[in-house]
Amino acid sequence: MAKRDQGEHKAAPMVEEVSDFEILELAVRELAIEKGLFTADDHRHFTEFAHSIGPLPAARLVAKAWLDPQFKKLALEDGVAASKEVGIDWLNPTGFGTPSDYTDLRVLEDTPTVKHVVVCTLCSCYPRPILGHSPEWYRTPNYRRRIVRWPRQVLSEFGLQLPENVEIRVEDSNQKCRFMVMPMRPEGTEGWSEEELAAIVTRDCLIGVAVPHPERKQNAARPVHKAVHPVQHDH
Amino acid sequence: MGGTQDNPDINDAKNTSSEYTSIAILERIRKRGRVWGDLCAQYGVENPDPPWKVCLEGTCEALAVQACALPTLERRWAEDELSETLYQGVPFPERQLLALAHTLIQRGLFGEDELARRIEKVGERLNSV
Amino acid sequence: MSKTHHAQKATGKGDPQCFAGEAGPPKFKVGDQVRIKDLPDIFYTRCQVYTRGAVGEVAVVTHESPAPEDEAWDNVDRPEWFYIVRFKQSELWPDYPAVYANDTLQTEFSERWLELV
Repeated sequence: MAKRDQGEHKAAPMVEEVSDFEILELAVRELAIEKGLFTADDHRHFTEFAHSIGPLPAARLVAKAWLDPQFKKLALEDGVAASKEVGIDWLNPTGFGTPSDYTDLRVLEDTPTVKHVVVCTLCSCYPRPILGHSPEWYRTPNYRRRIVRWPRQVLSEFGLQLPENVEIRVEDSNQKCRFMVMPMRPEGTEGWSEEELAAIVTRDCLIGVAVPHPERKQNAARPVHKAVHPVQHDH
Repeated sequence: MGGTQDNPDINDAKNTSSEYTSIAILERIRKRGRVWGDLCAQYGVENPDPPWKVCLEGTCEALAVQACALPTLERRWAEDELSETLYQGVPFPERQLLALAHTLIQRGLFGEDELARRIEKVGERLNSV
Repeated sequence: MSKTHHAQKATGKGDPQCFAGEAGPPKFKVGDQVRIKDLPDIFYTRCQVYTRGAVGEVAVVTHESPAPEDEAWDNVDRPEWFYIVRFKQSELWPDYPAVYANDTLQTEFSERWLELV
């Protein structure tokens, strides 16, 4: 197939059918290129960037901080500097000069009495260079509207129930700061290596809707609940 | 306008454009197109995302950064509105793709007929191999 | 949009870091009690409606940057300080369950939106 010949992404798994959506994607892209909105080369750069990012560097950052108090201090004081130590340069994330996002990364440290969870109620601001693309649910109005209003209910839908005395602190990322959560290291991980620890710091832990568990390396599936009562406010 | 909306996330600037009319070529794809989840089930594939998703991300990024043609925030707002109206019920990322094509046509960056012709050409090309 | 100055000014420094030192001294400090002004929205803002009129505490003085209300029009001449403000949830939502009185929400504002209580 033409698109695979261009080497733009790894070969599709064996779906022996060209869907209308696959055709639409290519048609939109070709028209945009033809109109001069961007070049094929630009697209290749951005696609490579999109392909290369994921939550692993953020997981490594957390694991490293769990093991090294000095690094933890750096991470909490200067997220951008700490990112460099796990291979992420916020000032040049795409490798061709233009920052594709704002670059004030803040790491939010959970404690026994404070649990952070991140949202962007405006759209879907997310620390992409270090955490990859946001999951679909993070982008939905459903999550964005409800987590600020009923955080405990939404967290319980993710399987996370917290006692009354724990302060749930919702961080609404609406300006140029980008946020990731540094959860607490769970019991049962004594003596683990950085790599072993990083494996249990899932994307959902880094957004704050889950907490690490020594036996959990996958994000849980999330049922979607419609907002029954739309939000009202008095301000 | 002002402080009376139902939802905390919707600010005034976006609330003015709720009338979306359907676009025939995209409507056809919405109705007829086979979404990734169905293809996976049929072919026993487990990859959670269709292979074109990363290319779509590349296009969105290039439109925002390189072209300044469609800033990310505006694209996301339009996508939210379209996801709750015309493309309600379409799974992700198919929904993101339909919303992007819709927004580009709506902004006059290319025409509906032009897109229809291109879809035909691309379809012939991909299906000929 | 802001991409113009992104490319010119932020390369190698980052945005908002590229505006450091341009806003003068910050008007508020960590711990200050501030109220979110209910300014009219003209064309564009990133200040959420649900925070207007609420009182919170400055949690972090973050960085200097043009306010989005200006930057959206490519006006980057007057950067101002930004602050993360922490609210009790019950301040934002009067019917928030009293049993979870500790719960909070933080979000960020440019200086023009805040006034000392």
